[in-house]
Amino acid sequence: MIFKLLLTMWMAVIIVAAFFYAGTAAGFPGQTSRILFFHVPQAWIATLAFLISMIASALYLAKRKVETDYVAQSAAELGFLFCVLATVTGSIFAKATWGSFWNWDPRQTSIVILLMIYGAYFALRSAVSDPERSRVFAGVYSILAFATVPFLVFIVPRITASLHPEDTMSPVNPGMDPKTLKVFLGSLLAYTGLFIWMLRLRIRLLRLKGLRVRDLYHEPDNE
Amino acid sequence: MQTRSSTYLNEAVAIWFRDLRSEFRTRYALNAILMFAVTTLIAVSFSIGSFRIEEAERPFLYSVLLWIILTFSALSGLSRSFVKEEEAGTIDVLKLSARPQAVFFGKLLFNLTLLGALELIIVPSFIFLMAYQINFPGFFVAMIISGGLGLGAGTTIIAAMIARASTRGALFSVLSLPLLLPLMITCIKGCERAAIGIHSAGWPEVKIAVAYVIIMVVMSLFLFPLIWEE
Amino acid sequence: MFTLKVSGIGKHYGETLVFKNISFQLNQGDVLAITGWNGSGKSTLLRIIAGLVKPSTGRVEMFFNADPIPKESRRRFIGMVAPALSLYDELTGLESIEFFCRVRGLACNRNDCLNIIELVGLAEHATKMGREYSSGMKQRLKLAQALLHKPPLLLLDEPATNLDSKGIDVLEQIISNQRQSGMTVIASNEKREADYADTVINLSE
Repeated sequence: MIFKLLLTMWMAVIIVAAFFYAGTAAGFPGQTSRILFFHVPQAWIATLAFLISMIASALYLAKRKVETDYVAQSAAELGFLFCVLATVTGSIFAKATWGSFWNWDPRQTSIVILLMIYGAYFALRSAVSDPERSRVFAGVYSILAFATVPFLVFIVPRITASLHPEDTMSPVNPGMDPKTLKVFLGSLLAYTGLFIWMLRLRIRLLRLKGLRVRDLYHEPDNE
Repeated sequence: MQTRSSTYLNEAVAIWFRDLRSEFRTRYALNAILMFAVTTLIAVSFSIGSFRIEEAERPFLYSVLLWIILTFSALSGLSRSFVKEEEAGTIDVLKLSARPQAVFFGKLLFNLTLLGALELIIVPSFIFLMAYQINFPGFFVAMIISGGLGLGAGTTIIAAMIARASTRGALFSVLSLPLLLPLMITCIKGCERAAIGIHSAGWPEVKIAVAYVIIMVVMSLFLFPLIWEE
Repeated sequence: MFTLKVSGIGKHYGETLVFKNISFQLNQGDVLAITGWNGSGKSTLLRIIAGLVKPSTGRVEMFFNADPIPKESRRRFIGMVAPALSLYDELTGLESIEFFCRVRGLACNRNDCLNIIELVGLAEHATKMGREYSSGMKQRLKLAQALLHKPPLLLLDEPATNLDSKGIDVLEQIISNQRQSGMTVIASNEKREADYADTVINLSE
């Protein structure tokens, strides 16, 4: 409860700070650089969530603990959500700076493939009715999909030629304005907190759904 | 009790031959794939013809069209061998008699045979109908072959999964396409270069496709038993 | 010497309980019958023993000379006949049997295959297509398939289905032969089939 309250307040502070405390970065038209405080943390959470989902899937296949699959499923769902958010905020920025919402920039290409993969992942989950089979298949698919990711490096060879701002707005860039950096790191923290809270909620929900069936027989789970 | 005197390869070949024999007698998968491919090819050829596209654009656009026809035709029939085992109720007896890795290899060989037949018919017809000029035939053929291997390697394990799913129709394509996308783009690029006649050292696209085949086959060998025994 | 040990097996689909807490042990020469009403889970229990379905609780163990047999090599020890286990319609009887020989890695030639086909009384129909077989002939071919690798554990789900009196004789011969070389589990509602067994487990009780 306290965690939720603190998180809400922190997010409110960050939103205000993002618009009024931090300055705009040089080389970007108007206020567009403020997207940094929302878009980058969203992309970071999406990456983190998909990574967690992948690892949890592999763990599930190895140990067959239902709990790890709850993590894999919840993280994939949240990863998808944040991935969509990052895509939307990204294309708003693209419209403002590059002139069009969508132009198959390498970043956009790879994000579309990622969305396709996880869209298929959810389709697979809902198409297999047996819960355990559905978990195994989802895990297998997520590992297979991960194995094809290295090939994206070959098919998106112009990654260096991307229009995506890397240096001017990278947090590791020493030239970043200290105020901007403070708000950016704060936002990263807020988004990570939000993600952890949502992830725990989702896992708890899945666990409750799973419990209902097993408790009926008062028998310990086999696996 | 049986004594094991054979290798995985012998057992895989037994499954491959049995599938070929059934296919030869019913022609279910091949008919679906070829009819899809021929119909699409005719539609493309009729609407675009051999002169509609500017000469400079041809190597790239023809390569795109060719790989779209090949990929989607393959997706229309490559799941058949697994789905048929499930529908005919023979999947359990196969599970009780064969080792999972042998099943995977047998089905992979069968799918590769189908793809071979598909490419053998469609690629020459496409070149003929579209007047597709290829300046570097060796590279082109290597690209077609390695791309075909990749299509088989990337979809066989997916076919095993969708055979156990309740909605099969579109699911096979939905699951396969994201995994095939890197391969497709590589093949399109390779065929474009072959058509133009760029002598790139070491045929990088063929190498990428071969690497894709190896990775998908190795991953499938590890993961297939999990699916098969579920 | 082969032993089968089933301990505390239970199965539920979603929230529907099929059966629970089934335990027994079988040794060489035993014949066990599993009876029960329709839907009591006879076939499911057999499929669990065969490893085709996972139990919700409990476990199935097999031992060869007291050494546990790992799951992945159990298929060599099991022969199974069940209504849901179909054979290939597009193959002739002989081709089917030859296929299962090869895929199991058995060293058997055409004569061995013909012998087993003759054993189940299909000698004249060996070169007919599976789809041309009558249901009784299909059942005989399934028996041949299950006996091919001389398994110590024979799982028969309603084995007398569609068999004529000659077919029943063949089946009885198979079960009595199996007493010498291994064990049999029969799932059936028919009293006649249950009569082959020394012990009976009723899933409806």
